[in-house]
Amino acid sequence: MERRAYKQALFAVRDEHTALDIVQDAMLKLSEKYSHRPDEELPLLFQRILQNTIRDFYRRQKVRSMWTTPISSLVSGDSEDEYDPLETLEVENESKYAAPPPELLERAQVLALIEKALTKLPPRQREAFILRYWEELDVAEAAKVMGCSEGSVKTHCSRATHALAGMLEKLGVTL
Amino acid sequence: MNTQSDSEHALAAKIARLLDQGVNDLDPALSAKLLVARKQALGHYKEQRERAPEWAPAWAGGAVARVTEPHHFNFRLLAATVAFVAAFACALAWQSLTQGGSEMAEVDVGLLTDDLPINAYLDRGFDSWLKRQLP
Repeated sequence: MERRAYKQALFAVRDEHTALDIVQDAMLKLSEKYSHRPDEELPLLFQRILQNTIRDFYRRQKVRSMWTTPISSLVSGDSEDEYDPLETLEVENESKYAAPPPELLERAQVLALIEKALTKLPPRQREAFILRYWEELDVAEAAKVMGCSEGSVKTHCSRATHALAGMLEKLGVTL
Repeated sequence: MNTQSDSEHALAAKIARLLDQGVNDLDPALSAKLLVARKQALGHYKEQRERAPEWAPAWAGGAVARVTEPHHFNFRLLAATVAFVAAFACALAWQSLTQGGSEMAEVDVGLLTDDLPINAYLDRGFDSWLKRQLP
């Protein structure tokens, strides 16, 4: 459970330490505030807390960037939006010395591409996709966790899948 | 439409399977850290559950104390109430002033547009004549 949560957080925040902090926070919040709730409610509650903690991180980051962006734009012209992690992926893979068996290597490469593509999705689309298809929540549960309508969940999921398919096709990945 | 939805689901399922594999390939050191965090949270959870029956009456007692103890004033609430009452009183006063003004204006307009000259109202004889005329 915690490893999947970590991955979810990592796709969202793209930083290992922050992702770890988010998962720790979410687990502690669950144990502190919802210990009186029935056990069957806990997985959904945990998902809700996790998504809220990720959103809190976005909010804090937004506030921080309001202050830091004007200063950093004076120092350098680079912007985070222009950074494309997919562009750097090929170079990173080429730099590895130990070559695993071809199948494993291919699987690892495909997985890395998928994970990078997931980080590029808009947050709500990623959230819906992960909750619906990875966490296997039904539409109603995903809507509850995301705090939106079931229709929105379906739309986000469909758009996320299309976007992922497009990105993978562009990279020549067939599943 | 259905086929499109099916192909979406199929692709999503394949991606989900790969993501599962990614979870299994997580760095062992990181997995250990996450396990520690999980154990901490579980310990906390058990502690909270055991404490829950004592906690509930304590909370209820606290709530009663908050309501009944006279020195536990909520100054923010008090200030907000005073401000609201003051604003309401000001609004009422302003309304009565502006209403009085409009009544006076109506009297002035009536006097000025009347056929009777305004000097007639200042004449004491006119007043006594008016009283005599009225039944």
